[in-house]
Amino acid sequence: MPTPNPELTIAVQLLEAPFEPLELLAAWQRSLSADSRDSLGAARMAAESHFIGRVRPTTASGAPLEVLELEHYPGMSEAQLRALAEACAARHGAGAVLVAHRVGRIAPGEAIVLVAVQADRRGPALRCVQELLEDLKHHAPFWKREWSGGSGTWVAGNTPL
Amino acid sequence: MHCPPVVAPSPDLTAAVRVRLFAALRERAGWGERLVPLEASPTSAADLWRRLALDDGPATGGRIPPSIRIAINQAFAAPGTPLRPGDEVAFLPPITGG
Repeated sequence: MPTPNPELTIAVQLLEAPFEPLELLAAWQRSLSADSRDSLGAARMAAESHFIGRVRPTTASGAPLEVLELEHYPGMSEAQLRALAEACAARHGAGAVLVAHRVGRIAPGEAIVLVAVQADRRGPALRCVQELLEDLKHHAPFWKREWSGGSGTWVAGNTPL
Repeated sequence: MHCPPVVAPSPDLTAAVRVRLFAALRERAGWGERLVPLEASPTSAADLWRRLALDDGPATGGRIPPSIRIAINQAFAAPGTPLRPGDEVAFLPPITGG
């Protein structure tokens, strides 16, 4: 079992309104750089990897999507995202993780999830982003309902990787 | 003349659990949250699934389908875990996050 990094920084955000992923990312980077630079002012972690997921414009059956509704389990969803991020970061030796996830009604094209990981090398950063994304899609209590033609259908499972 | 205070008969909420349903499961049952007395000891989520008739039909014979996960006090748990008074037990349909 990997030893957790005592300086690990985990940020989890559940957002009820549309967000701009690049702005959120920039704010996260500023917050990290304020307390994670060495005496020479250089960032300590050399690698950073990101994933942005957006709502696709069609339903699972191919019909035009009006809106995606995202239900969650308040309290458990935040705690579970944090636990998954901590475990994933510990497995890969990552130093900082950001997970932002929309809830509520989300329009096609809007960002639904943002995962960012800082690590010392590209391998851990890239692997941790991919693994954490899969973890949260299957193990954090979120449920999607697709609205099309005025009726809603709960999504039965995740799309293939 | 001294009248004793009237105490309305009410269920003993300290011997109850809070049951929560989400998404398709909530809509199928027609409710999302209720307090359920712990009638027998021990009682598990699997017992409550049968007692509350949460099945979709007779096909599963009252057993929790493998696609449904259980959370006790907002942490994943096995269906047979004994419940304690005051616990919050949630039945979670297949997760579709991200």
